[in-house]
Amino acid sequence: MADQAIPAEHIVAPVAAPDDVLRVEHIAKSFGPVTALRDVSLHLKKGEVLGLLGDNGAGKSTLIKTICGFQNADSGKMWLHGEPYEPKSVDQARLLGVDVVYQDLALIDELSVYQNMFLCREPRHSSTPFLDSRRMKREARKALDDIGINLPRLDVPVARLSGGQRQSIAVARGVYSDADVLLLDEPLAAMGAKEGAMILELIARLKEEGKLSMIMILHNYVHVLESCDRVNMIVDGVIALDKPTAETSVDELTEIVVDEYRRARLAAQAEEAARAAAVPVED
Amino acid sequence: MGAPARKREVPHVAATAWDLLRRFLTMREGSIIVVTVVLVVYFSVTVSTFFTGPNLQTLLQYFTWLAIMAAGEVFLMINGEIDLSIGGVYLFAPLIFYEVHGGGIPLLPSLIITMIVCMVVGLVNGLITTVFSVNSFITTLGTLFTLQGLTLIISHAQNLEMPGAPSTDPNTGASVIGTFASVFGAGTYSELIWALIVIFVMQLALTRTRWGLHTIAVGSNRNAAAEAGIKVRWVLIRNFVVCSTFAGFGGILEAVRSSSITPDPSAANSILLYAIAAAVIGGTGLAGGSGTIVGALIGALFLGILQDGLAIKGVNANYLVFYLGLAILLAMGINVYVGRARRKSGLG
Repeated sequence: MADQAIPAEHIVAPVAAPDDVLRVEHIAKSFGPVTALRDVSLHLKKGEVLGLLGDNGAGKSTLIKTICGFQNADSGKMWLHGEPYEPKSVDQARLLGVDVVYQDLALIDELSVYQNMFLCREPRHSSTPFLDSRRMKREARKALDDIGINLPRLDVPVARLSGGQRQSIAVARGVYSDADVLLLDEPLAAMGAKEGAMILELIARLKEEGKLSMIMILHNYVHVLESCDRVNMIVDGVIALDKPTAETSVDELTEIVVDEYRRARLAAQAEEAARAAAVPVED
Repeated sequence: MGAPARKREVPHVAATAWDLLRRFLTMREGSIIVVTVVLVVYFSVTVSTFFTGPNLQTLLQYFTWLAIMAAGEVFLMINGEIDLSIGGVYLFAPLIFYEVHGGGIPLLPSLIITMIVCMVVGLVNGLITTVFSVNSFITTLGTLFTLQGLTLIISHAQNLEMPGAPSTDPNTGASVIGTFASVFGAGTYSELIWALIVIFVMQLALTRTRWGLHTIAVGSNRNAAAEAGIKVRWVLIRNFVVCSTFAGFGGILEAVRSSSITPDPSAANSILLYAIAAAVIGGTGLAGGSGTIVGALIGALFLGILQDGLAIKGVNANYLVFYLGLAILLAMGINVYVGRARRKSGLG
């Protein structure tokens, strides 16, 4: 699959600008025989919301997990605020101002709402090892109120909450983490229309404030055109489209995907034919 | 106006009391506390010597060191792991202490060196389990037998006299208890004090520190914990080290109290299983993600009372194991029931 060449005109050369917050160049990542990212380059401007599109298995989540420090790339380079950026861990990336909302949310069922909100960056009473639970509760409450999520209690395990509520907690955790680059892997996946609208509104508000730069994986093209400044599409482990959302349309994005499916089908047929030719015919 | 207010107040108080009772019973430790209290009442009523000072002192030696060992085990069980090697470390630590002290090193430094050796055992358990992704049941089964074998080889399977333990004055025949002995096991309440310190510190660590929070996170959802940035491997290794250290410390306390090192693997194996039983009866599951240190103390106390009570009641020792088995099954049943009730009531 990965060897199926993308037409040359589809591959987008990286365009770097001086005000890039994040720059990713020629990132490649394989898992054993499976190539997830072949050669990905992208950039993110300050205050920009970049929509990342692509088919299932195109490598979107792998790219996010590479940028957030969860896994290392096999090759390629990254820059953050113009400085070389090689996060060795999620913690280190977070310290440098890059945070992430994972597709699987990374919530701990047994822990409470506020403990999840501060997982791995828990505030402590000064010069003691003891957690400052009161502060965690207060700040978690403020963050959730700010988004408009109404949870009666923050000390219940998140296992008790609905899918949408869990998703909101994961998003709130990322947004209120002091990050200046936020990566969101399908932040609307488990949400109903009402909760989804709430998150999109939050993103619009953050965009207006201009402090946070975001890369957001979304499946709904309408949401992408509505919320993002620019869109990148990954096809077969490379960026196959890079356009401001104002210059593209649902039709164009759909056409690329349809085209991709067409090529995949042709490739599968060709492979089938080759296999049939190679197998000796039994009498 | 007064009358209606009073009318409203009465059911309010009843409701609060009921709510408190419900909260207590659905506490993770609530059910085992009730069962333990029932057991105490039962033995106090049926055996006249049970609730007496001397017997309560005897009772201490049944559960204190068990609680210390169970406290370390609970942390690993919350991680979704298990440490069987505590049965080996328990046996091995006093022997190391004996050998180190025999090399001319004073008691306290010998104890520190012994504790470091126990930490290394935990480190090995942790490294094998995490680096090579071996199930901890298998890793620690290996170290359990290895340490028990080493103990037998080094001691030639002979009982040894524990250095620093109480000794008998050759002239007067009176028992001499030095400072070291009275602090580390031979003083009447020394084991109890150590157990309470360990339980207090570990309960605090579990509920009030990052270490505890991350231990729960790793046990509940290892992938999510890693994604959140928790160094899963270090959390696990640290807990293996702590578990081994407490097992060794328990072994030292018991050797000092009894004045002898008894290299008996089968006794150590049942101690290992008692420690796990204490944790399980106390409300810690094997699946990971939840557990309680205070519960382990009460679980150990429950096992101690059961053993001590049945012994002074004159029950045949063979029945003891049978009752113990039933007690574990009963405790598990109650834990499952209470867990369901807790989830239903939304009390967390």
